[in-house]
Amino acid sequence: MAETVKKGSAQVGATALAEAITRIETRYGTRAVLRGDVAERQDGERRIASGTSLDRVTGGGIRAGEPLAFVGPVTAGKLALALRVAAGAQRDGGMVAWIDPSASFDPLAALRAGVDLDRLVVVRARDADEVLLAGAAALRSEGFRLAVVDTGPSFASRCAVDDLAPLLPVVRGSPAALLVVAEERGRRLALPLVRVEPLGWRERFGRTVGWSFAAAAPASRERALFAVAALGADASDLGTRADLLELAS
Amino acid sequence: MIAAVVVRGASETGHSRALITLRALLPHVGVIDAGTFACDLAGTERVLGAPSRIARRIVERLLRVDAHASVGVAVTPFAARVAAERTGPCETRLVTDAREYLAPLPLEVLPLDEKLSEELALLGLRTVGDFAALPRGAVFERFGRGAARAHALARAEDDSYRGADHRGALPPENPPRRRICARRLWEEPLASRDQLIFALRSALDEISSALAADGLAALRLAVKLEREGAEPLRLERAVLPPTRESAALVRSLRWALEERAHLGRVIGCAVEVREAEPARGRQIGLFAADGARWEEAIASARYLREKLGAGRVLRARVANADARLPERAAEWKEVSS
Repeated sequence: MAETVKKGSAQVGATALAEAITRIETRYGTRAVLRGDVAERQDGERRIASGTSLDRVTGGGIRAGEPLAFVGPVTAGKLALALRVAAGAQRDGGMVAWIDPSASFDPLAALRAGVDLDRLVVVRARDADEVLLAGAAALRSEGFRLAVVDTGPSFASRCAVDDLAPLLPVVRGSPAALLVVAEERGRRLALPLVRVEPLGWRERFGRTVGWSFAAAAPASRERALFAVAALGADASDLGTRADLLELAS
Repeated sequence: MIAAVVVRGASETGHSRALITLRALLPHVGVIDAGTFACDLAGTERVLGAPSRIARRIVERLLRVDAHASVGVAVTPFAARVAAERTGPCETRLVTDAREYLAPLPLEVLPLDEKLSEELALLGLRTVGDFAALPRGAVFERFGRGAARAHALARAEDDSYRGADHRGALPPENPPRRRICARRLWEEPLASRDQLIFALRSALDEISSALAADGLAALRLAVKLEREGAEPLRLERAVLPPTRESAALVRSLRWALEERAHLGRVIGCAVEVREAEPARGRQIGLFAADGARWEEAIASARYLREKLGAGRVLRARVANADARLPERAAEWKEVSS
C-alpha cells in the first residue's frame, strides 16, 4: 500500500482495494465487507423480531443474512411460529417470500397470525430445483426481508432440508433471512435450528381442541411456551419457562 | 459581503469595459455570466468604505463607461445577484438577511430545471422559503445533486463566488457530461454466472455512486465482458424505469446474462452508462429499509413467474373468513404488478 502511495496515485490504491473487496464479495457475498458504522446500524436493523418470547430463544430475533430452521413433528406449531416471524418481518414494511412445495399454505391462518397478505408472495415450487430457484431469487433480490421454505409434511414433501444446501452461500450475502420449516433436521446439512415440540393436548368430547408447545434452541435451556386454545386460533405466547417459574414462585 | 453587479443588455465590448472598470475599483472581481459580475468586498471596508457606499461608487464608475448597472450586496453571492437583478438600473440594494430576503420570492429565481419546478409545484411548494424549509438530506435523496445545490442557494448557504471565473472568461454554457463507467479485472477467470453477477455488483455499486453524485439515473447500460480464449462479449441493456439503484442495475444485468446459454470464462468487465437522465425521486420506497423494496420484490416475483410458469407465483386474499371449506376462504391471483 505504501508503495502505491509513493507512486503519487491514490487511484491505484483505491483500485487495488476495490478489487480486494470484489474478491471477498465474490466469495462470501455482497455484504461481506461493510464499513463499521454501516455494520453496526445494520445489525440492529436487520434482526427480525417476532414480538414473542421466541425472540429470547433466538437471541433477539432472526438475523438477516442467516438461515434458521424450525424443526418438529407434525402439528407441533412450527407453522404458527413461522407465520409470527413473517408478520414480524413485515412490521417495518418488509416483503416475505413463502416457498411452498407442498401447496399447503393457508391464507386464513396467516391472516390470523397478523401476516399482511399484500406483502407476501407464495411460490408453489414443484421440486427441490424449483425451491432452490425461488429461494435464490428471493434472497438475491434485495426486495424481501424473509424467505420461508416450508418443506411440508414428510409424507407429501417434495424437498428435504438437505436439498437446500446451495441456498446457504446465497443467504450469507442477502439482506433477507432464510427460515426453513421442516419435520426433521438435515442429515448432511447443519442449519441453526429451533426445535418445536408439543407439550400437551387439550381434549373435549374425545376430540383435540387445543394444545401447548415449546420452542427451544438445542444448546439453550431457555424454552418459549405457546398455547393454542382452539382449532383455527392463533398461538398465544405464554412466555419462557423462566417467566413461568418466576410467576409460580 | 459580496456585491453582484448586473449590467443589462451589455454587448461584448460593454462586458469587457465593465470588467476593466470593476477591476480598477475592486481587488476581487469574478465573472458569473455575460454582464454579470461578483465582487468580493472582504477587506475593502477600511479603504473604500461601507458596502452600501461601495455599491454606489460601482454604479457611478460604470455610468462613466455608459453601463447602467444594478448592484445588490448580500452575504451570499446568489442573494446578491437576485437582489441586483430585481433592482432597477443605476440603483443599489443592500440585503442584510439573505435567507429572509429570498424566502418570499417565487421558485423561478432558483436555477431549477423545468421538470423539477413542475414537480415542486405539484408538491405545493411555491416560494423559495417553502423549498428552503425541506430537510437537506431528503432533497438530495429525492431530487439529486442539482436540486441540492438549488436548496443550498435557497437557504443562503452557497459559496458560488469561488465558482466565478476570475480570469474574466465566461463560464461554458453546457459543461460536458463526464463519462460514467467502471472496469474490473479478475485474477482468476469467473466460470459461473452467479460468481460473475456477484463480481459485477461492485462495478455497479461504483456506477450507482457516480450516478448519485451527478443526480442522474441510468437509462441504458453497456457491458463488455473480457473472456479467456474468446472474443469479448458485448451486451447492451435498457433500464426501465431509469434508475441509479445498484440492485436494479444488477437485476437488469442478471437477466441479460441469463439469456445467454454460455458465457465462457470471464476475466474482466467494463460497464458504461450509455444514456442517463436526471434522477427523479419516487414517493414510495425511497427511504425503505433493507428488504422492504416493493418494486424489487415484485420484479423478482415476476421473474420467477416467467421461469416457473403460470399459477406458481401467487398472492393470496381472504375472500370469506367464515367459509366452511378452506378452499373457498381464499382467493389466489398471479403476481403481475
